[in-house]
Order: sequence, then structure tokens, then C-alpha cells
Amino acid sequence: MRTYQQHPSSFRDPSGFVFESAGKLYRQINLSYARHYESLMSSGLYHLLTTQGWMISHQEVESDTNASSARFKTIMPQFIPFITYPYEWIFEQLQDAALLTLKVMKTAMDHNMILKDATPYNIQFVGAQAVFIDTLSFENYDELQPWIAYRQFCETFYFPLLVEQYTGLEIHKVFAAYPEGIDASTTASLLPGKARFNIGNWLHVYLSASFSGKERQSKIEFNRRKLERIMQDLHQRITSLKPRTKSKSHWKNYYAESILNNKYLSHKQEVISGLLRKIDPHSAIDLGCNEGIFSKMLAKSVSMVVAVDSDAPSVSNLYSEAKKDRLNIIPLCVDLANPPGDAGFYNSERKSFTNRISFDLVLALALVHHLCIGKNLPLEKVADFLSLTRRWLIIEYVPPGDEKVLELARNKPALLDDYTEDTFLRSFQRYFTVTDEQAIRGSERKLFLLDKK
Amino acid sequence: MTCAFYLYIDPGSGSYLVQMIIAAVLGGLFFFKNIWWKIKAFFTRSKPNPSTKKKE
Repeated sequence: MRTYQQHPSSFRDPSGFVFESAGKLYRQINLSYARHYESLMSSGLYHLLTTQGWMISHQEVESDTNASSARFKTIMPQFIPFITYPYEWIFEQLQDAALLTLKVMKTAMDHNMILKDATPYNIQFVGAQAVFIDTLSFENYDELQPWIAYRQFCETFYFPLLVEQYTGLEIHKVFAAYPEGIDASTTASLLPGKARFNIGNWLHVYLSASFSGKERQSKIEFNRRKLERIMQDLHQRITSLKPRTKSKSHWKNYYAESILNNKYLSHKQEVISGLLRKIDPHSAIDLGCNEGIFSKMLAKSVSMVVAVDSDAPSVSNLYSEAKKDRLNIIPLCVDLANPPGDAGFYNSERKSFTNRISFDLVLALALVHHLCIGKNLPLEKVADFLSLTRRWLIIEYVPPGDEKVLELARNKPALLDDYTEDTFLRSFQRYFTVTDEQAIRGSERKLFLLDKK
Repeated sequence: MTCAFYLYIDPGSGSYLVQMIIAAVLGGLFFFKNIWWKIKAFFTRSKPNPSTKKKE
């Protein structure tokens, strides 16, 4: 009888599979992959990649949990606290993931190995640092062959970045529409005419587009220098890309420009830091994080913080700060009114955003009016949604008379009828007990600390 | 009809010829850049070097 559970996202690669046993994740390496795995470990590549922090480490375990005849070895990979996907990333995250993939590939080539696949799904974030997670992606290098994963690399890294740079279509939206990347012909049709005047685009996009579906495996010989040149070219081009949306944030300077004065902000920080001392959570998610003032505050005492906002430029600012200061924050771009669902084959390869959330604390500051008035969601539904916390919820109640609420309700005043403190409390008390309640000075707003029933 | 046939080609194999051409073009660019650097180096070398001049 099987005592292990094969992970639902792990069946595409014949080299092995991930499985769960007694609450821990393991990875079986199959006999067919044995010689590549031996090269990875003995060439010094594994050692270099893991000591640099570019790839997750693993331990070999003596496991007889699965009696598979294909088994060569079983490893226990380093634990990744929170799994994210490119349809939740911003431009810079995909860019860093691309550059890391190229760096890993270059290092592998120096050790006579290559990456047999290159997709953002092989990259995860620990804090704001990208890390390569697929130990079974390496293969022995045959110098006469070009890079087998070149096309996949372009479709899932380079082309989406180009599309955002030229059209402003954001990465998370590109991947929502094209979860496996955009092919060259589609990219060519999305890019504006001026993109043709760039030799990089001409080579990697338009040339590939004109060849798509018209060739078979070539017998012409390749060599190491040629491949290194392509790698270097991709590296230079990707490094110089910039998101076009950078200057168009709705939320930048939200605190600086709004009537929400300094008194309000400093008192809000004071109250929240008091509450944090009281509940001392180990993990937290900041929903509607804006530029992350409170995520950064959380990161000082909480070991794992995820910060979510639907405004890419705000997330981008937080990401660059978290990356620079090595903060324990994973910034993500997610629209909470329409978060990513279960995806992949059988809807089971990648869990929905909501199903991945399991945090001691959910922080929902200045969020509830955006969901209720901005997105027409009833308070009962919002309360139900926020009960996905493991235990605590810190929520800011923004009263109907608030300037921001009136702004949102300008064209739909009817929504204000049900938006009262009474309904708010009644809705949340269905799922929570009110532990603390404090008015924020300099405003009519209130902070509630709620404990899940 | 032919279009439908090509849809079934393994995605991994489709980029070989493209990579050959890209490598060739990049090689060519590298070649010309090299010549350019040599020409530049020739003219900068022919000028008196300020640092050596000082020492003299």
C-alpha cells in the first residue's frame, strides 16, 4: 500500500517526482536521471550554486517510503515557506528570475552541464531574493547542440518582459492570459512597429516568429562559444529592460498627498506595533499593502511576511526596497477581488492564491472600503474571505463619512446604505471575537484586533 | 493541412536554426566590434600617453 502522496504538480518531468510523506516534502530521483544527478553533485556545481544562495539545497535521505522500481535516490529539498507564481509577480521579479536562470545556466556550462528547461515556475522567492528550485533541471552538456530550452526561456521570460516594456501590459496579467509564456508570433503581433528597429528584437522575436513551425531538428553543429554568446546577449538585453508602467501608479504618494495626515499615520503605526507585541505572530500577510509601510514594520518582528497589492508600481517599490535591505517580505501583485485560481492540468498543478494562504496574522488596513464600495462586495463576503487567517486579523474600519469612501461611492451611493459600523461588526463577529478596538487619532477610522472563532 | 502537421513538432526542437543564425549574427557583430576596438586602440596608442609623459 502506498504510504506517500505524489505531489499533484509533479508528473511532467520523467527524472523524478515530488511526494509528501508524514507532512514533509521529498523528491524521488529516478534511475533514468542518475548520471546527470551524479554529475551535478560531483562536478562542484551543486556546491557552488547552493553556497552562493542561487539554488535550494537538499539532503539525501534513506527512504523506503515508496517501493518504486525506478527509484535511484530520494532527497529532501530545502523548505520554501510560501510558493508564488509569475502571474503574481511584477516586472522586476520576472527580470530577476530571468537573470538568475541565465546565471545558473552559465555556471552549469562552466561545469559541463546545462539547464534542460527554463521557466519561471522553477524559481521561487525567499523574502525578496529569487532562488532556483529545480534540482533535476540539469543535464550533461553536449557542446554540439544549441540550448534545448532557448525557446522556452524566450517565451516565458524574455517575451513577457518585452511586452510589458513596449505595451505596458503588466507581467501578472500577461501570465494570467498566457501561463506557459507567449510564443514569438504572438509577441511579434503585440509589439509596436518601432520594436522592429532593435537588433535584439529582430533576432530573438521576429526571426523566431518567421521560422515558427517551419523547421525540424537541424544537423548543423553548434559549439560552446556560440552558446556563450547567445547567453551573454540575452543577459545584456534583459538587464537593460525597464517596465513602462513605472510612473503611472494610482497609489504612489497615497499617504503624502491625502488628507490622511501625519498624526493619523504615526498613531496608526503606534497602535499596530502595540497589537503586534501583544499577539506576536510568526507569519503574516499584509493585504492591500500599498508601498509596504506596515509590511516593513511587520518584517522587524515577524519571520515571514507576504505583502499584496493590485498596484504594480507600489509593489515594485516595495520589492526593490526589500531586495536591497534583504527584508523578509515577499511582495506580490494580486487583485483581491479576483485572485488567481487553481491552475494547470486537472486544476491541480498550482493551488489557488486563497488556498496557499495560511498565516498567523492577516493585516487588512484601509482595505475594506475598497472591496465593499470599490468592488461592490458585501461586508459579509469580505468577512468570510478574511477569515482565511489562521488566528488573528487586524482590520481598519473606514467609516462611510470618510473622504476616501465618499470618493469611491460618488457614482454608487446606494452601496453606502449597508456600509455601517453596525453591519461591519455583525459581519465580522460571525467569524471572529473582537479582542481590541482603538480609534485612530486624526481621523474617524478605527482599528480592530479580531481573534478567529 | 501542412499547418496542422507542424503543430505537433516538439517545441524544444523548433529553435535550433534560429539559434544558429543568432549565434552567427552575434559572431559577426563581435568581429566588427573587435576591428573597431583595434582601430580605436591604434589611434589612442599613437597619441602620447599623459601619464608616461609626466614620469619623463
